Amino acid sequence: MKRIFTLLFLTSLASLALAQVNCDAYKYMGDTLKYEACKEAEKRAGHYQFSYEYQHALDNAIEIDSTFSNAYKYKSTAYLKAGNFLEFMKLMDKAVELDPEQHLIYRGWCRFQFFRDYKGAIQDIELLDSLADYDIGFGQNGFYHLQTTRALCYKKLGQPAKAISILETKLKDPEFFYGPYFNTHLGVLYLDQKSYSKAEKSLLKQQEENDLAENRYYLAKVYQAQGRKAEAKENLEVAKEKYVSGMRFIDPYGPQVDKIYMEDIEKALANLD
Amino acid sequence: MIKRSLILLFCGCLLFACGNEKTTEVVEKLKSVTPKKPYRWVDDIKNDPEIDDPSFELCYSDFTVKQYFNIGDETSYEGERPAIYRFFEENYAPVETDQSGFIRVRFIVNCKGETGRFRVISSDENFEEMEFDPAIVDQLVSITKSMDGWKILPDPDIPTDYYQYLIFKIEKGKILEILP
Repeated sequence: MKRIFTLLFLTSLASLALAQVNCDAYKYMGDTLKYEACKEAEKRAGHYQFSYEYQHALDNAIEIDSTFSNAYKYKSTAYLKAGNFLEFMKLMDKAVELDPEQHLIYRGWCRFQFFRDYKGAIQDIELLDSLADYDIGFGQNGFYHLQTTRALCYKKLGQPAKAISILETKLKDPEFFYGPYFNTHLGVLYLDQKSYSKAEKSLLKQQEENDLAENRYYLAKVYQAQGRKAEAKENLEVAKEKYVSGMRFIDPYGPQVDKIYMEDIEKALANLD
Repeated sequence: MIKRSLILLFCGCLLFACGNEKTTEVVEKLKSVTPKKPYRWVDDIKNDPEIDDPSFELCYSDFTVKQYFNIGDETSYEGERPAIYRFFEENYAPVETDQSGFIRVRFIVNCKGETGRFRVISSDENFEEMEFDPAIVDQLVSITKSMDGWKILPDPDIPTDYYQYLIFKIEKGKILEILP
């Protein structure tokens, strides 16, 4: 049941992320120029993000109103997916300059997930947090709360204690929805700190909620460190099965932090023998 | 009777010849189609005879090349990401420099798993365009060119040509991370 709620939540999040701006809102606010730009931008509908037609509609929107920040963001996505950080950042810098509160979430998340720019992502997320008096929400793919993203950035910058502190604070918040991979990341952080019982607890929680190859692999590492060889082996075998069946961290654009591969599982199995 | 048959035969040949001519004409037209727009997709890589390997050919048209994520997993390489990391660890010699930032090498993998049309962009750590020491860039391009594990990706059943890229996060001449 919990899993169904998780999926429903993520679907809603994704829908929100993809939702179109209601152009009429600009009209009601008396901003007819932005209304016209918004209507022009709607002409991209039905075209692929990478296509000339899609980009051209947005260029026209910018031509009508160069302060229509959404147009820069919409344009940036194709460049992001092509790995073109030069164009992506130019466009997103402009979007953020025009409307930081709306666009820092996207730029911050993408800096982390697509370019592993941990310092830049932290700057964006912390600036957004200072501007917002509400929950800053999830990154674009709907799987990572930006506070989890921020914690992972600190971890990658060699500050695991700070990362753990951020995640533990969020866990105490009854309103916090932590996403489908949260407990694996927390478990790995504890594992790295040799806090094995805490790591086991987090990874078993992950297993209960969303059992994937990754949590099994790291749980095996915990058991191996504790000398529980049989349990380690059992979990690595399960990790292998899950990996093959596709029950693992998946993102078509790029790997998540703490993602594992078949070679990692096989090496760990070999190290047990 | 013979005369009528000859006339029919002549007309038939004429029609056949015209039909063949028409078909050839259509095929030629299709081959030379250039969309009436500045580009098909952003960041498309056109063949440049001055820099591209003449032996590398796409299996289909320039206008049907997909993006890696349209048809594959994050990195469709034999041995997955650990194999890519290992390949660069074994072949890249860190360069002594203060330069840090990002380098993207983008290219096309054709339907046979061959690679070509390599292009490079680079920036400093703040994503401002910056040229890296050629000792770094040349190595990365050369090593990327020598990678031979790119998977043939079907779309959905027929192997297709696709764009792939590697982004190298560089710190003082060393590779810190490779994406995607």
